[in-house]
Amino acid sequence: MDRIQSFAEDNAEILKQEFGAGRLSRRDLLAGLGALGLAAVAPGAARAQARPEVVVVNFGGEAVPAFREAFQAPYVASGGRMVIDGSGPSNGKIKTMVQARNVTWDIADSGVAGTGELGPAGLLEEIDYSIVDKSKVDNEFAYKYGVANYMFSTVMAWDSKKISGKPTLADFFDVKKYPGRRMLRRSNQGMLEIALLADGVAPDKLYPLDMNRAFKKLDTIKQHCLYWNSGAESQSLLRDGECVMGLLWNTRANLLKRDSNSRIDFTYNQGLLQPGLWVVPKGNPAGKEAFRAIAAMQAPEGQVKLLASMGNGPANPAASALVPAELKAVNPSDPANVAVQAKIDADWYEKFGAAGLQRFLDNISA
Amino acid sequence: MPAMPRPARSIWGETGIYWMLVMPALFMLLGFYIFPLVRVLWISVMEPTPGLGNYALLFTSASIHQVVLTTLRICLLTTGITLLLGYAVAYVMAQAGPRTQRWMMLGILLPLWISVLVRAFAWVALLRRQGVINNALVGMGVIEDPLPLIWNELGIVIGMVHYMLPFAVLPLLTGMRGIDRRCLAAARGLGASRTQSFLGVFLPLSLPGVVGAGILVFIFSLGFLVTPAILGGGRTLMIAEYISVQILDVVQWGVGTMLATTLIVFIFALLALLSRVVDLRRLFGAV
Repeated sequence: MDRIQSFAEDNAEILKQEFGAGRLSRRDLLAGLGALGLAAVAPGAARAQARPEVVVVNFGGEAVPAFREAFQAPYVASGGRMVIDGSGPSNGKIKTMVQARNVTWDIADSGVAGTGELGPAGLLEEIDYSIVDKSKVDNEFAYKYGVANYMFSTVMAWDSKKISGKPTLADFFDVKKYPGRRMLRRSNQGMLEIALLADGVAPDKLYPLDMNRAFKKLDTIKQHCLYWNSGAESQSLLRDGECVMGLLWNTRANLLKRDSNSRIDFTYNQGLLQPGLWVVPKGNPAGKEAFRAIAAMQAPEGQVKLLASMGNGPANPAASALVPAELKAVNPSDPANVAVQAKIDADWYEKFGAAGLQRFLDNISA
Repeated sequence: MPAMPRPARSIWGETGIYWMLVMPALFMLLGFYIFPLVRVLWISVMEPTPGLGNYALLFTSASIHQVVLTTLRICLLTTGITLLLGYAVAYVMAQAGPRTQRWMMLGILLPLWISVLVRAFAWVALLRRQGVINNALVGMGVIEDPLPLIWNELGIVIGMVHYMLPFAVLPLLTGMRGIDRRCLAAARGLGASRTQSFLGVFLPLSLPGVVGAGILVFIFSLGFLVTPAILGGGRTLMIAEYISVQILDVVQWGVGTMLATTLIVFIFALLALLSRVVDLRRLFGAV
């Protein structure tokens, strides 16, 4: 809340509310998983005793039971040992651990800002692709220091009571056509890309980002913008009518659409597809076992469960065949939705991510 | 006293035994407070390369200039408004009877027990476009469009003043209670009007309390993180959040620790200044 929230952090919060509201039962999550997931990884069971424990860390709350049921249960059934820890792997915390040579995490739920800042600084292990299967993930999201765990999108949502028809990104930047306040994330990630898309840059020609052009575009609506730090904030700003249009994560947009009976609508058109990445802190206690665990979590069944509970798109392309029809439209990594979105480029974030974030913050607070 | 040889004394000295008693606390302070602070200082001169490069940013980085200026502006504004309001409350309290004083004290202390987060969100509910205040004003026909009360520096200052008021009222009250009423009576007796006796006698006598409360409020304000983040609509970046971004997000610990060190030095300098004006021990509640 008090700082720029990551996508994974926000996931934890959403789940907390959903469980709280009684819309998800843990049993629902588990149902079906057992049979499917276990079958996929069963051969490992014999090696049980000798295998070290793998600590997977995410941003806590109800994302802990969700990960437990999607990932831990099948892994344990296959003879591995896994613990889900919810203490929040921010970049700063991973750096502290690695520098103090007291690493207690094996696998952390991170993103391109994580691999970008930590990888080159020597704070992450390289992903061992002799164990992790590159064919079970979109090649574009299998990086040196991180591999896709799930997919999410930055999308445009609008208040259909104040905006008629289906607006485009160009309309987002046109306050004459659609007067009213706009909402952006308080981070460069996604916002620069969308500014450029709105300015007419082709989705496949986005990178390297022309920052000057992006900031120039953002400046045209700067006085009409509010910026959210946390996913919950993005939801309430649109729900309460503080803003008429906004850029936010697909998970929150989906909740808004459901809770407002489609008063708030959103589109994947000209959105930005981003990966949630597994990263392994340098000197992790379980060693190579971490990569065996990541490989096991590539099983599509668990990933589909995460789509049902959290709205996160499966990273394994094979999962789309298992996605139930009613979830296809909201799945950010559904082929039909992928086709209309741009994809983030982690290499750019490795080189310019920190500078981009700083410039973004400086620019909006100037 | 007969001079008897006491070996223990010669080792520990006269006050040695007392030092031994405070040793555990001292070690704890050294280990858990001073040591991390020294490390912060250390990182600020060692990362990314040894030297004073990070400190040079204080003079060269436009981004840091901007955040420092914003922080100072908001903190000074907050301090000024808090002092004005706090002075009025403390003045009324100092004049009131003991029963009224107790109730007022409760009213001042109660908000202190409510989390800063909760209070910030309460302000959101009051100040937003369709919030209580705007809805009421629009409903009464006073205004047509909702007032921009939030998502700007006004919102931040409102939230911060609300948080800081008790920290101003309490030292001000202590100061006012210490003023000898007979001085005022004497001034009135010599023909001064109420205003004259206030401006000429009471106000100058209460000034040390004002300065003390002012510096206290100002120092506290410098560290605000949650309130600006929530009430500012993301458009205001203050130094505490800037440091947090450097440490947690972009992992430029050199810059983050440099700013933290600078902030600490600045605060110690202010405290040193404060100690020349008022008795710190009294200000912080020691008798």
